[in-house]
Amino acid sequence: MILVPITYKGGIYRHEEIVNLIEDLGGYIVQKHIIAQEVVLQSFVPKDDVDLIRMIAKPLNGEVIDSPLVGTEIAIVSMSLEIHHLPHPSCDIAEYVRRIGAKSNMVGLARGPGKRIATLNDEERDVINEHDMAVFLMGNFESCIEHKMPALLRGIEVPVVVCGGPDKEILQRIVSPPVDGYVGNVGRFMRRTKESEELDKLDEIIAEIIRVLTKRREEIAQDPLSVSPARLMDVIKESIPAIHEVTSPTPLTVQMAGLRVKLPFDTFAGELRRTEIEDGITIGDISEVMPSRMRDYILVRVRPFSETNTVI
Amino acid sequence: MQAIEYFVVECPEPLGGEYYQQITNDVFLDHNLLRVIRKIHVYIDPKVPVFIAVGILKKITTRVRVQDVANVNPQEGKMTLVISDETYLAPMLRIFWERFGKDHVDQPDRFTVILYDVKVDPREVEEIVIADPSASLFRDLIYALRCTAPEGFRVRREVYGDDRFTFVASEDTLAPDIDDLIRQKFALMETA
Repeated sequence: MILVPITYKGGIYRHEEIVNLIEDLGGYIVQKHIIAQEVVLQSFVPKDDVDLIRMIAKPLNGEVIDSPLVGTEIAIVSMSLEIHHLPHPSCDIAEYVRRIGAKSNMVGLARGPGKRIATLNDEERDVINEHDMAVFLMGNFESCIEHKMPALLRGIEVPVVVCGGPDKEILQRIVSPPVDGYVGNVGRFMRRTKESEELDKLDEIIAEIIRVLTKRREEIAQDPLSVSPARLMDVIKESIPAIHEVTSPTPLTVQMAGLRVKLPFDTFAGELRRTEIEDGITIGDISEVMPSRMRDYILVRVRPFSETNTVI
Repeated sequence: MQAIEYFVVECPEPLGGEYYQQITNDVFLDHNLLRVIRKIHVYIDPKVPVFIAVGILKKITTRVRVQDVANVNPQEGKMTLVISDETYLAPMLRIFWERFGKDHVDQPDRFTVILYDVKVDPREVEEIVIADPSASLFRDLIYALRCTAPEGFRVRREVYGDDRFTFVASEDTLAPDIDDLIRQKFALMETA
């Protein structure tokens, strides 16, 4: 069964019918937001049943949208969290990515600004590496980007998209080591993105992110995961009641090849490892349960079929 | 560009210069500073690295008086001030308290201030200066230029006086000949 990421938007009235439908079809709801009278469900549903959900949602005035970034966690790396970079463009991009389903986290570097001093510390590097991909938001000057990128990309193992002021071709030439995606003409700016050409630029960033993540998905598909992270999320929700007490908006953040569990590592790691998924196979058998560098959360990395010889 | 006689951003990287022109414009617009600047020349060279902003300000006579924010209505034994702009209400009340005493100043609601038994001509009350926005102009200007300059440029020098200002920032120690460069930029601006 191939699961595809979608977003359902509709009124709160009778939305449980859609929730039940998705669950009955074997899909998973990754995030559920209730905003005033509106419900937004970010979910994975079987590919063949998308039309059925669309049909059932129609009388409820619900809308089903393809959201290729549902189930991904993206790091938006800003050179600092100062007024120079926030709220524009860092927040604008983080928010835009969030709208189409991704969970975006802003990473502000301690020593990002400046050509000479720019560097990445081990905590920043590890936090970025915990995501599915990273979007580096650089400045306007070619010479600075050229000088800084080797230091900022040192140790980064996840796919990277670099956004910067110079044209895309120049970025491709100057960024060393080469990265997976480039978006030019999006450097530092100090106003809200609301003009149509600015929104087109944001769309270009999204298109680049989707392209990079699709490539990553294809790589994962060649050696499939032992269990779908969305399924693992459901198992944890059922087996560890403490997760329902977490006040974070996404107590379980689904990633492409794992998930972040927002519970203290020391207290819950053992319980998590012992949790059974199916037929005596536990989470510990098919995944690595390790401490996250983000607070004291738990990071679960699902191991591929080639390592476990199991797919459930 | 609103009422600025000269506004140039000079940069060896043309595209970077264009972006910085936009950033400077946006920051000054946000901080409401475009109306006080007559000329400004910004020079950025990321390779040195250095950021220089030199400029000339307009003559500012924007002292805010009571008559600018309120209507004074003299009545029998009292004076009622109908507030039209609340921005300077707090400094105005503080000045009234100091001058007339708290017993003589009453504020029954947001938009009304009543002065009881004050032995002053209503016109004199209208003329009382309650704020001088130009006092904080330098601070606002420097803050705006700090926002404009690249963030890594943390070695800074600011000079202000005679309606002229200079802001220099760099990542490294400022070069000894920086004053010559500043003079050149002033000359460029003045001859334009």
